[in-house]
Amino acid sequence: MEQENLLLIFGMAIVTFIPRFVPMAFLSRRDIPEKVKMGLEYIPVAILSAIVFPILFFDGEGTIGIQPRLLFSAIPVFAFSWKVKSLWGSVILGMLIYWGLEFVL
Amino acid sequence: MDDHQFRDGAKAALPIVLGYLPVGMAFGILAQKAGLTAFEAGLMSLLVYAGASQFIAVEMISKGVIWFPIVLTTFFINLRHLLMSSTLSLFFNKNSIRTIGLLSAQLTDESFAVAMSDTSKISNRHRYLLGLQMTSQLSWISGSVGGAFFGSLIDHRGYGFPFALPALFICLLVLQIKSTNHFGVMVIAGICSLFFKWAFPGNWYILLATLLASGMGVGIKPKAQR
Repeated sequence: MEQENLLLIFGMAIVTFIPRFVPMAFLSRRDIPEKVKMGLEYIPVAILSAIVFPILFFDGEGTIGIQPRLLFSAIPVFAFSWKVKSLWGSVILGMLIYWGLEFVL
Repeated sequence: MDDHQFRDGAKAALPIVLGYLPVGMAFGILAQKAGLTAFEAGLMSLLVYAGASQFIAVEMISKGVIWFPIVLTTFFINLRHLLMSSTLSLFFNKNSIRTIGLLSAQLTDESFAVAMSDTSKISNRHRYLLGLQMTSQLSWISGSVGGAFFGSLIDHRGYGFPFALPALFICLLVLQIKSTNHFGVMVIAGICSLFFKWAFPGNWYILLATLLASGMGVGIKPKAQR
């Protein structure tokens, strides 16, 4: 087992535990400032967008561009997720389309 | 009486189990593909237990990112638990710090949502929440370890496997678009991430784009309300 992986897991565990634990242990009724609350609210959507866009709009060689197989798989998954909101369904659908496109493109 | 609470909580977790088992398996498979062992995948699910950040970590590991940016990214992703933890603190103000430690370590979006669906069941009834959360996490760990073992039997370059993670992230992203402001933040973060990825080496673009876009989101909000 690689030591770096263990270090990574413990590091992730500590930084995840702190925001879970501290308010529950030490805040009882104090309110979080509205602006901080708003910023926290936007972090998940921002992070996920910063992951998804580069997957779809970068070619394999590190320049901005399009890989048709990825993009054509992504569009129906966007539509399906929007309508059905099923995590597992979206993954299965995306995989099937991506697989199918191997024979088309 | 206490055991009753725990069992009721465990029962309330069943919808979560249905979601966590397969997604946990997907995590295990992808973790194994990225070079983690089944033990490491299980350990991460035991100690970290935060779905989105575990998938993101695996994605970054597979691109050869060193541990520090991954830990920092994890911290920012999971900062959102501050809000849920603050809310839960209202219901568990009579418990020992050890109990609070255990309860808070297993806090997730899903178990929080279920717990909040009927707050009369959780108010100072920590064994109910414990049953709910332990059952949920057990399914997550089982899925992860199972997926990591099972993963070695599957050809990951073939079929649709390369698209499993992008599809998951797309759906998680869509689920996060809760308002026009969220949509705006998504667009800003997307464009910034492309620029930062082009401009800087490594995986710092995720963190930079996230902080910039959520900061700008806070800035645009008052205008949208007026």
